[in-house]
Amino acid sequence: MFRAEPLIKVQLLMLASEAQDAALELARFGAFNPVSCSVDQLAESPALRYREAWLEADSRLSKLLEQCGDTGAVRFPEAAEAPTLADLQELNDWLKTVWVACLENHEHTTRITEARSRLDLLEGTLARLERLNVDLAHLLRADSLLAVHIGSLPAGAVARVSEALSMTGHLVSRFDQVGEQAFAVIAGPRVRQDEVRGLLAQAGWRELEVPDELRTHPQTARSWLETERAGLDQDFGVECRVIDGLREQFGPRLHEARLRIALARPLAEAALAGVCGKGGLVALAGWVPARQMNELREMLAARFHGRYWLDLHQPAPGEASEVPSLVRYPGWLKPFIPLVKSYGVPRYGEFDPALPFAFTYLLLFGAMFGDIGHGGIILLLSLALLPRFGRMAWVGVAAGAVSMLFGLLYGSIFGFEDIIEAVWLSPLHDPIRVLGLAVGFGVGFICFTLLLNVRNKWAAGHVSEALFDSGGLAGLAFYLGAVGGLASLTGLVDLAQPAWALAVLGLAVVALYKWIEARAGLGERILVTTIETLETAINLFSNTLSFMRVAAFSLNHVALALAVFTLAAGLGTAGHWITLVLGNVVIIVLEGAIVAIQALRLMYYEGFSRFFSGDGVEFVPLRLSSERSRV
Amino acid sequence: MAGLELGSGKKLKMSAYLNTRVSLYSGRLLRDQDIDALVRLPQAEMAETLSAYGLPQLAAGFEPAAAHEQDLRSLEQRIIAQILDETQVLIRPLAGDERSFLMYWTSRFEISNVKTLLRGKMTGERPAALLARLTPMGPFGRIDNQELAHAEDVGELLQRLENGAYAGIVRLARRAFEDSRDPFNLDAALDRGYYEGLIQRARPLEKAEGAPLRNLMAGLIDRINLVWLLRYRFNYGLPPAQVYYLLLGSRYSLSGTLLRELASLDSLEAVLDALPPTWQTRLAGAADVPSVFIRMEQLTAELAARTLQSSAPGMTRAFAYLLLRERDLRAVRAVLRGRHLGLSEVAIRFALQRTPERVM
Repeated sequence: MFRAEPLIKVQLLMLASEAQDAALELARFGAFNPVSCSVDQLAESPALRYREAWLEADSRLSKLLEQCGDTGAVRFPEAAEAPTLADLQELNDWLKTVWVACLENHEHTTRITEARSRLDLLEGTLARLERLNVDLAHLLRADSLLAVHIGSLPAGAVARVSEALSMTGHLVSRFDQVGEQAFAVIAGPRVRQDEVRGLLAQAGWRELEVPDELRTHPQTARSWLETERAGLDQDFGVECRVIDGLREQFGPRLHEARLRIALARPLAEAALAGVCGKGGLVALAGWVPARQMNELREMLAARFHGRYWLDLHQPAPGEASEVPSLVRYPGWLKPFIPLVKSYGVPRYGEFDPALPFAFTYLLLFGAMFGDIGHGGIILLLSLALLPRFGRMAWVGVAAGAVSMLFGLLYGSIFGFEDIIEAVWLSPLHDPIRVLGLAVGFGVGFICFTLLLNVRNKWAAGHVSEALFDSGGLAGLAFYLGAVGGLASLTGLVDLAQPAWALAVLGLAVVALYKWIEARAGLGERILVTTIETLETAINLFSNTLSFMRVAAFSLNHVALALAVFTLAAGLGTAGHWITLVLGNVVIIVLEGAIVAIQALRLMYYEGFSRFFSGDGVEFVPLRLSSERSRV
Repeated sequence: MAGLELGSGKKLKMSAYLNTRVSLYSGRLLRDQDIDALVRLPQAEMAETLSAYGLPQLAAGFEPAAAHEQDLRSLEQRIIAQILDETQVLIRPLAGDERSFLMYWTSRFEISNVKTLLRGKMTGERPAALLARLTPMGPFGRIDNQELAHAEDVGELLQRLENGAYAGIVRLARRAFEDSRDPFNLDAALDRGYYEGLIQRARPLEKAEGAPLRNLMAGLIDRINLVWLLRYRFNYGLPPAQVYYLLLGSRYSLSGTLLRELASLDSLEAVLDALPPTWQTRLAGAADVPSVFIRMEQLTAELAARTLQSSAPGMTRAFAYLLLRERDLRAVRAVLRGRHLGLSEVAIRFALQRTPERVM
């Protein structure tokens, strides 16, 4: 629970013809995280063609399912085998044929939709041209010396096109605009038409074909438009029936294609990490939990009857950054894991902060939002939302319970401080003590995170960082020294001299380490050392002071409640109760959300950033799935 | 008021950081001797020398490694990765318009990916082969290459692009391409759309950052307009009106009226003679489009070098640095490619056509 499970790197050598089945079996096994294999003699990547074919087939299948609708859940038969490359290519070709058939239908539908919009535009345009009082038949005569174009272009391009066309003696007159499309008449000498053709194409000019039917009396034009629209409606009905037909024709086979593509997915996924091979041999490499090795051996023996070679390899100390992290958590801790992982994944061998995170997060939340009533409502609301938010709602339940516990300690219920006696202290009546406790907690928390960082760096083999860096023992010495020095100034302890000596020594070691580590020119070295050493000092203290917000929010909670009571006291009976209820809702929603975020912020920035690199690689095993997400 | 002071204090700190970072980076810019040394350098020392020049991405391509670990990216991809790495460091202290401007400056590599995707779809290239040719954009990437590479044809690809980050640029390009099916229309519209976007992002900054940024933008945009004008008019033989339409709409030193006049002329010499006297002096002796480009680029580089050494605002200096760095990397690419092709030292030096930058 505090660190990732020990893993072993396995390299499975086998016949190339069985690679897809091996990947499929490993996916069924469910605990094989593929990685790039490194056998010098097997320098080729035989699975890349497989992956390529799979990607194409998967992409086509996704588009087809989008077009034809889902085909239902996919069940994997026990004895199902993965398709070979040839099978996959054949499947891909078939999918292409189906897609072309669907595409034709899709294009017809799109064309009908476009034609409908064009009719709408024509109708509007006709109305506008009528208003212009122009005889279109006369204007668009083909034997005139003047060439006239009626059409549309992007509105933003009109000015520029007008400028450019003026060089060829053409005029542009805009007469309408729909959305970003401007409708215009362009007129100019017919002899210079060749000069403008390219320009108009470049400008995205769409000639508005004015059919003969529109070059007539408006009433006749309108009846033509209605006939056209009826025709389009009829065509659309035909296309709908075609879609239904396609669905009926290809549906069952598409479902089978989904199954085969899902069975091919494990090798395609492993190929992304890197499957190597040569001739008739392939090697699949990956990480497997050490405790499941026997299970893996049994599975391979049962399926491949000795036609394989398994090579095992323990992770070397310098390899930690490449080894995936597999941490198994008890059920009660799982709701907190997404909050930890949203910051990062623990590196292999690194301390996993999930457990201290859960305890400290709840502690901070409770301390900032201690109220029996409000906590109880959060608890009940979270329980009610369990079906909707699943496991995550348990974080709310726990936060509500801890809030109630602190409410008991503070003697606060819906903001009332006089209903029950405080078991421990009331923040409003003893604010200085609360502030001192918060800062004291911050000091302890920061020391804890620095020690964790020392442990992590040491475990990763970065001994010099563990000892001399700002987050190492030297940084801790400086911090403890400075805290001791400041505490002596306030008269809490009498350790001024040794404490300041420790602080100066710690900071000097940190500066020296930064100087040695900054491998750059003199200027950059001075800059980096000065800034980073200063940053060490400033950060540690600003981070400590950050914990004052715990006290501030616990005071704020009571103060907000007092404000609500004061407002309510000035109103009549109905107003009084409405204000009390609304005020409490505001406190729960607004302050509750702020406190939840602040507690998370303290954990991330004052805690995790100090010891948790979070740059680990999550253990992602090959799995059998029919989901259409891309790998 | 306190917030305002805090904000300007933070800005001041960030500006000090950026200025220091740019000054430190400017020490990495290559002199002609450095480029020349690369021409003669033994292959075994190449990785170390490129690392010493602050080019770790390029050095990675020369490091001896086991076959399965070798860096398989192309030289072009490694050069772009280097520029992106440095841009990422430079934009770290920036926010708002300044950050958006420098980030958009890197987008032209992604526009180049878009062109590769479009050409690949026109020729029916396999998605895997197409993907291998795309430049990884890392955190600067705004499009899903995987999804786009698996589009069935150009039409579907354009539709998908229109739903993405470059919708504005692609929409115009699609309209230009749809009827004509001419790849030139597509490329020209994409280029024009990209640079119009750059100018649009530079406008508010030119007011805030003042003359240095405006001068840099003027050097860049005027060069593009003049070179495009000459190329479209005399290499592709397009009619004057179309040439004028294809130029960038925003004007710096070359006015719209002047560009219209230039586009109407019938020869490169006539165009160069019709330029303002200062331009004629700058371009004296240039007889073809490539030499005009080299001369103009040289002028932009000199201006950028002066800006870098001046007390211009941090973002402008960072932009000047990136212009110079990219020019350096193009020279390094020419050398490495020349060496790879087994060209003689003389031929490589001729191809470089690089003269030292003078700071006036």
